[in-house]
Amino acid sequence: MTRDAHDGARELIALGESLSDAQQAWLRSHLDECEACGHYAEAAGRVVRALRSQPLAADSRLVRATQMRVRFHASRLRETRERLWLVGMACLGVGLSATLTVPFLWRLFAWLGEWAGVSSWVWQAGFAFLSIAPALVVSALLLARGTHLTSNGEKQWR
Amino acid sequence: MNAVAYCFMNAMESEASATARGLRRRDPDLLDRLIEQYQHRLLRYLMYLSGNRELAEDLFQETWIRVLERGHQYDGKHEFSTWLYAVARNLTIDYLRKKHPVSLDGLMENEEHAPLEPADTRPMAWEVLLQHEQAERVSAALVSIPAEYRETVVLRFQEGLALDEIAMVTGAPLGTVKSRLYRGLNMLMSRLKEAQA
Repeated sequence: MTRDAHDGARELIALGESLSDAQQAWLRSHLDECEACGHYAEAAGRVVRALRSQPLAADSRLVRATQMRVRFHASRLRETRERLWLVGMACLGVGLSATLTVPFLWRLFAWLGEWAGVSSWVWQAGFAFLSIAPALVVSALLLARGTHLTSNGEKQWR
Repeated sequence: MNAVAYCFMNAMESEASATARGLRRRDPDLLDRLIEQYQHRLLRYLMYLSGNRELAEDLFQETWIRVLERGHQYDGKHEFSTWLYAVARNLTIDYLRKKHPVSLDGLMENEEHAPLEPADTRPMAWEVLLQHEQAERVSAALVSIPAEYRETVVLRFQEGLALDEIAMVTGAPLGTVKSRLYRGLNMLMSRLKEAQA
């Protein structure tokens, strides 16, 4: 019997239950003939049984803490998604209403400019200011409050 | 017989796809159940992968947070446990790379990793004491072999993963998995023999 045959047999023993029928048949016949590989198979079996009977280690405290942290994080993700959805809808609404109203406002400012007798750049500057003023005010408020899309609450579960 | 196997496979597939749907919804009840179901297996895997109980507990929590965040990436076509181990493994490697710039393969070269302490067993009975000693010997032998062999041995013999599943988790070719399993088992046997001598 060659050294390769013994090595092959031991490799098959290590692979355990994932052998094909032909491999199992060959291994059985080899083990019937080879005492050393038979001893190896017994020793490997003992080690594998010892590995499988290793005590389990997680405790309930860790599991509870993880479940709470995951739930908390899930609610944060949900809130963030809802906020993003609201922001998206608001942007859509603003875009639509702007598309509809800007031409009328432009004409209104032009008419007011004519009526007041000011030059065109004055009423155009007034129009531009009125257009960006709401966005400037909201941005200033959000900056003063801190960003509205993040939260550091998760750290309390660590 | 074939019909039974077919029904079993179908049940497994539908369970995996139900898990995938739940993960896409970020269903907290499903996550609670999964955490309970995989608590011991995942922690044990992380303990042997990282070589440190405290770190394994941190990584355990981080793994479930990542499962929550990236649950939509689980396709439900494979076992959930295979995907879970892959997530845990990537997280561990990311952490170790940030902490110490070494690969998983080089992990055991760092001697500051203390041997693992097996979980407490019930006190006093003679058999329990013997089991405890045996568990300590096996744990000590296991942490003394290189990390890539240890990981393969743990996934195969403790977590019961098939060889192709181990290949998926570790990203190694099937031939490499087989050779790691063979060499890992040989190393483990010789370490246990040395410990007994």
